[in-house]
Amino acid sequence: MKAIFNYIHKEVWSPYLAGILLGLVGIAAVWISNSLLGASGAFENIAGLIGKAVAPAAFDNMYFNFIMPPGITTSVILVVGIFFGGMIGAATSGTLKWGQKDSANSDEQWKRIFGASTAKRWGIAFIGAIILEYAAGIAGGCTSGLAISGGMLLAPAAYLFIAGMFASGIVTALVIYGKRY
Amino acid sequence: MNYIVALFLGVFFGFALNKAGLTKYNKIVNVFRFTDMAVLQFMMTALVVSMSGLYLLRGLGWVTFPSVPATYIVGNLVGGLIFGVGMALSGYCPGTCAAGAGEGKLDYIVPGLLGFLVGAVIYGLTYEAVFPAISAIANYGNVVMPDLWNLDPFLTVTTFALMSFLLFYLIDRAGWQRKEKSE
Repeated sequence: MKAIFNYIHKEVWSPYLAGILLGLVGIAAVWISNSLLGASGAFENIAGLIGKAVAPAAFDNMYFNFIMPPGITTSVILVVGIFFGGMIGAATSGTLKWGQKDSANSDEQWKRIFGASTAKRWGIAFIGAIILEYAAGIAGGCTSGLAISGGMLLAPAAYLFIAGMFASGIVTALVIYGKRY
Repeated sequence: MNYIVALFLGVFFGFALNKAGLTKYNKIVNVFRFTDMAVLQFMMTALVVSMSGLYLLRGLGWVTFPSVPATYIVGNLVGGLIFGVGMALSGYCPGTCAAGAGEGKLDYIVPGLLGFLVGAVIYGLTYEAVFPAISAIANYGNVVMPDLWNLDPFLTVTTFALMSFLLFYLIDRAGWQRKEKSE
C-alpha cells in the first residue's frame, strides 16, 4: 500500500503505466458517453465565443456558425479538466510552478540550448502554438482528438497524422538543434 | 457527453499527461531527437489498451463506436507535417499545454493558450478557402482499417499490439535510444 502511495507521488511515472491510464480514459469516453477525447476543438469554440463578441461581422462565417459553433461545449469542459488534472498531478509530486520564478521559462534543456531569455521562449512557443492549432484544423484533430482517439478505433487518418508529425518533428528538431541534435 | 463526465475524463487525462512527463518541453522534443522515447511509449501503450478494450467491447455488443475521424489522405498527412513543426518548436500539443498550464507554468499559460486561440481564429477565418479543397482529395470518409481493407478486426488489433511490444522491447531492452550528448 505504501509502495503504491509512494509511486503516485513520483514526478514521472513509467510511460507504460501512464499510457495504460490514458487508454482506460479513452475507453471510458466511448463507453460512458459514446464520444472521443480531443483538445484542439475547445480552442475553436472559445475563439468563436471571443470573436463573435468582439467582431461579430468578421466571425459571421460558415465555420463559426455551423462547423464549430462557439460556446462552452463539453470539449471546453474537457480541457478545463485537463488543466486541473495537470495541476493535481504536479501537486502529488510537489512540482507545482504557480508563482515560482522559473515558471516563465520552465525547462532546463531549453535554457541550456537556447538561453535564459523568456522573450525568446515565449516568442517561439507562441508561433509553435499557432502552427499546432492551425495544423490540427487541417488534419481533423490533434494528438488527442486524432492520433489517440482515431488511432484506437484504427482510423487510417490517425496513422497518416502520426507519420507526418514524427517526420516533420524530427526534421524541425534537426534544424533548430543543429550541431547539438 | 455531459459536463460532469467531461470534467472527470479531462482530469484523468491531464493527470496521465503530467505523470508521463509530457507537460515538459524536453520530453516532447527529445522523442524527435531519439534521446527519450517516452512520448512514443506512452502513446502506443494508450493505443494498445484502448484499441483492445474497445474492439473487445464492440465484439461483445456492449459499445458502438462514435463517429470515426475522417480519412482524407492529403489533409491528414499535411496537417501532421505542419503539426510536427509546431510541436518541435514549442514542446507542447494542445492537450499537454492545457495540463502544463494547470501546473502553473507561465510559458504554457501565456504563449501556449494564447497561441492556440490565435491559431483557432486564423483557421476559422480561412477555413472555407482551405479545408473543403484539401479534404476533398482522396477522401475515404469515416472509415476504420478493418472495414476499409476487409481485415479481421481482432487479428488487426493483435498484430498492432505485437508490433508495439516489439517496439517497446527494442527501445527498452535492446537500447534503441540514442544517449544524450554530454555538453
